[in-house]
Amino acid sequence: MWKGGGSVKSECSSISRLLEKYFDQEVTQKERSLVEDHLPDCPACRMALDSMQNLRILIKSPVEEAAEKETFPWVWEKVERGIQRKERPGLWESLWSWLDVTSLRKRKILIPAVAAAVILILITAPLLYKKISSYPVPSVVEYVESETYNVMVYELETPQVTVIWLFEGPEEESSTS
Amino acid sequence: MKRKASLFVILILLLSPFFGAVAFAQVQVRVRVMEASNVGSGFDSSLRDLHDQLGSLFSFSSYRLLKDESVNLSPNQSVSLSIPPERSLELTLINQHRVAAEIRVKITRQGRDLLTTLVRLAPGRSVSIGGPKRGEGTIIVALSRLQ
Amino acid sequence: MDVNEAQLISRCQQGDQEALKEIFNQYHQKVYRIAYGVVRQREEALDIAQEVFIKLFRSIRQFQGKSRFYTYLYRMTMNTAIDHTRKMKKVPSLSMDEEEGFQLSDDAERRPDRILDHKELEARVKWAMDQLSPDQKAVLIFREVEGLSYQEIAEATGSSIGTVMSRLHYGRKKVQELLKDYVERGR
Repeated sequence: MWKGGGSVKSECSSISRLLEKYFDQEVTQKERSLVEDHLPDCPACRMALDSMQNLRILIKSPVEEAAEKETFPWVWEKVERGIQRKERPGLWESLWSWLDVTSLRKRKILIPAVAAAVILILITAPLLYKKISSYPVPSVVEYVESETYNVMVYELETPQVTVIWLFEGPEEESSTS
Repeated sequence: MKRKASLFVILILLLSPFFGAVAFAQVQVRVRVMEASNVGSGFDSSLRDLHDQLGSLFSFSSYRLLKDESVNLSPNQSVSLSIPPERSLELTLINQHRVAAEIRVKITRQGRDLLTTLVRLAPGRSVSIGGPKRGEGTIIVALSRLQ
Repeated sequence: MDVNEAQLISRCQQGDQEALKEIFNQYHQKVYRIAYGVVRQREEALDIAQEVFIKLFRSIRQFQGKSRFYTYLYRMTMNTAIDHTRKMKKVPSLSMDEEEGFQLSDDAERRPDRILDHKELEARVKWAMDQLSPDQKAVLIFREVEGLSYQEIAEATGSSIGTVMSRLHYGRKKVQELLKDYVERGR
């Protein structure tokens, strides 16, 4: 138990409960005085404050560094796109409301129409798939011309990669910003 | 009667891709310009679909998106974009087949042709053109067909 | 909230995207800092920041001005960031981020006297923060990264000041214990 007043040294156990508040600058004037009066004679409390400070640096510094050098490329544009994407109704909803199929459903036309379409697709799809898959896959790059660069074309199927790589000569390198 | 006709038209359109080349007027191409380097690390989230492709060929530790634009190409009409470092990218739709669109790609600098290539772009497949240096990084332009 | 901000919010509530852009310009750095404080990875933090502003635009009509706008935004940011970390735990990482290829080995934990480089220390801090409950992590980030007062943290987390102090105390204690060697000797 401690007595009030700035001249009386307070016990460590009482002050340690105030240390965090003091560190966070959330103490009253009276509490501040108590802590600051106690600190010069208490290495343990000073070490506790140092630990809190070190912890703050560990948590905060990388965030500060990252935020300082961040240029936020395209973030606003992506936000705009995201808003527009979510505002647009789905294709199916638009189609459905446009068709107003409830009347069709009442006349029992929709089901036979859809069934006919599905049957048609099921009959023709295997034939067409066979036709498509027998087409040879043409090369992605038809030709490359360059008087400035040496060029290499990399084309892989797995994963599907096509890269045209330009090797700069000394002239291009020195003139590049 | 109007609704029945509309439904009929929609069904025909659904089936028409099976019956030959689709003569849509425009082709939409996404152009992404990125700077690849070994300074720092990170992979811009907008480039996620290219992760496997780029990772299989290159060992850069960082891919930073510089530009992301979609262009609509009409037959034989060129569209130009500026790309770093101080270059211009010109895309021209030359021909369109059922699956792939033939696109001529030109890179120029101050009016001088640096590269001309003709590529076939199909939906789901990207073509990347890379190599020009920019500081400590290398510029890569990825072209993807959107539709 | 000043008059300008109140007007911006009102315009935003009526669907004015230009108003959202002004809010974005004002707050995107703070939102990024909070997001980065949680995920400690650039691309994820940018994704979260983007998602926050999209969510803000969709939900801002529900903001009635009973709390300060920035605490409302900070709460949204924290919730989004924590949800994001939950989702990321379920999905294998696709990005070549800083931690890919780097594993905090058991050896490092058994040898606290080993000198760790910057990257490993950062991974260690992230790991320690990830051991906290979402509530503890939230108050710790609001306090240490953004310097919010107890009152502001209480508003942002929807809790009392007493709860904030308790979470802060136990959160700090846990992280200090996990990072004992670095905290005691300083960076």
